[in-house]
Parts: sequence; structure tokens; C-alpha cells
Amino acid sequence: MDFSIRAASLDDCKDIMRMIMVSRHVRAARNLEQDGFSKNPFFHVVIAEVPEQHRTKEGHTKIGYALYFYSYSSWKGRSIYMLDLYVMPEFRGKGVGKALMSKVAQLALAAGCHQLNFTVADWNKPSMDFYLSQGCFDVTASLGYHCMRCEGEALEHLAQP
Amino acid sequence: KMEYKLRKAEPRDVSDILRLVKELAKYEEMEHQVTLTEQELLEDGFGDTPFYHCIIAEIQGANSSDEPKVVGFAMYYFTYDPWVGKQLYLEDFYVMDECRGLGIGSEILRHLSNLAMKTRCTGMMFVVAENNEPSVQFYKRRGAEDLSQEEGWRLFRFDKDSLVKMATPPEE
Repeated sequence: MDFSIRAASLDDCKDIMRMIMVSRHVRAARNLEQDGFSKNPFFHVVIAEVPEQHRTKEGHTKIGYALYFYSYSSWKGRSIYMLDLYVMPEFRGKGVGKALMSKVAQLALAAGCHQLNFTVADWNKPSMDFYLSQGCFDVTASLGYHCMRCEGEALEHLAQP
Repeated sequence: KMEYKLRKAEPRDVSDILRLVKELAKYEEMEHQVTLTEQELLEDGFGDTPFYHCIIAEIQGANSSDEPKVVGFAMYYFTYDPWVGKQLYLEDFYVMDECRGLGIGSEILRHLSNLAMKTRCTGMMFVVAENNEPSVQFYKRRGAEDLSQEEGWRLFRFDKDSLVKMATPPEE
């Protein structure tokens, strides 16, 4: 199956929004256009597109995306954090996910990055298997790193004098 | 009584930042993993688009003529989730051993939490090694949730070599 991978532009916003809502089972993605496609974007997106003859029955040709932003490692320096990787179910198993990741890797290296980080839920075995087959390693398992968060009341409390 | 103050890092601080990064890595037995250089810290933190920000804790010397000494730091940056919005990500946070127990760590965390709220972040995130009991307790006491434990989050990583392999298109 023929497909192409490229950096997303403002015109892709509606499709990215559509796919985010499906991939995360959410009803809205706030401020996507402003936060991702203004002068100083908070994140970047690459899109997978198929030619017209492969469009879905709803008429979509944009069938996958990867959303990432630049981060920093105190050990290695410039890094990339990949927040989302999604391919519409009917287009899986055709190398689209691999190609999206390959594009993100190319962009990461071009920007002088030394590593690519992301999180996977431990109950999501197909995803974990896919990523491990691409050559990454499980930092939580090997270094015992736990992801922590302070939010809501805990954050407000911490901010008190 | 040791007086300390917190301030934004400046270009002149990069050698102290690297020193403290290495001290923290050494504490985690990972000193050999630090390949970051002062030059990179300078370009990446103080150029047109900083990749990170730093706050510094310094103490005044015994005499007023002494140079203040940098004894702690926090390195952070902003991350983004389309659903929850901006987060403040705390990459490194360290106070030198001899300066612990003065409240410097708590003050740094308070400063960062305040900054997170002022910049409309919905949360502050970081990683902790599970065998680092003092740190785990420090954060849990302050209301941090362990997303790895509670929601099964695992951090995965592609290092430089595997990134290069992934970036190379397959043979046709």
C-alpha cells in the first residue's frame, strides 16, 4: 500500500483533531491550532497520508500521526518526547507506524537530539511489543524509573509560601 | 546561619550546572552516562529557543567578600499534552549534601510549583528511581502520584544508536 509521511501544517489540524479524539477516546482537544501551529508551537506533528484511491469510506486520506516535542536530558542534552503515535485500525500492519517513527527519528537527529522518549501503558502489550521490536528499551523496567505527577490541589499546596 | 537565595541561571552558571548534574548522576551511580558538555548547556539553555530552564540556589560565603557558592539547582522545561495542556517537567533537582536540611529543596519546589501555576500548567511531572526511597517519600509526602504504579506508565527510550537505525530507510 502506498503512503507518504510529512510534517503537518495548519491545513491538517482538523484531521489531527479527529484522530486524537479517536485514539484517546476524548471529545475535544483544546487549542490544538494555537498550540501547535502558531509562531512558537508547543509541539510538532507528522502525518501519514494515503492516495485518494485508498481513502476511507468517510473520505479521509490522512490516516496516522505522531505528535512530539523537544525535551532535554541532563545526561545527554537535546531529546525528543513522543506523546502520541496513532494509525487508523484499517491501515495497521502496513508499515505506517514504523514510517512515522522513522520520520520522527530523522527529525530528532536533524535537530541534534540524542534520544527519543515516550511512555507506554503496561497493559498495552501490542504497543510494547511493537516498540521493543523497533530497538528501544524499557527504562522503567531496567532503571526502575517511575513517572510521577503533582497536580490539582497537591500542586496548589506546594505553591503556598 | 547559612543564608541562601534562589535565582534564574545565567550563562556564567553552566560549569556549576554541569558539576551538580554530575554529582546527582554520581549519587544515582550513573556518572559515566553524563555526556552533556558546558558548550551544549550554553547553546541549549541561553540561545534563541531554550530547550531547558534552570534555577540556582547559592549560599553567601562567611565573609561578604567571598564569592557566593552554587549549592543546588533545578533543571526544567515545559511539555504539552493536547488533552491536559501544558505541564512543567522537572528534569533534575539536587541540593549538595552539606547544604541539606536548610529548606533549600522545599523552597525550590515551592518556586517551581508557583511558576507552574503562574504559567497555567496543569501539573508538574518528573521521574524518580524506585530504589531512591528518600526521594520517593519526599515527593509522596507532597502529594505526588506515582503514575507507573497507579496507571502502569512505563518510560521507553531510543538511544542515539537505535535512533540512527530507525531513521535509516529500509533497503527496498
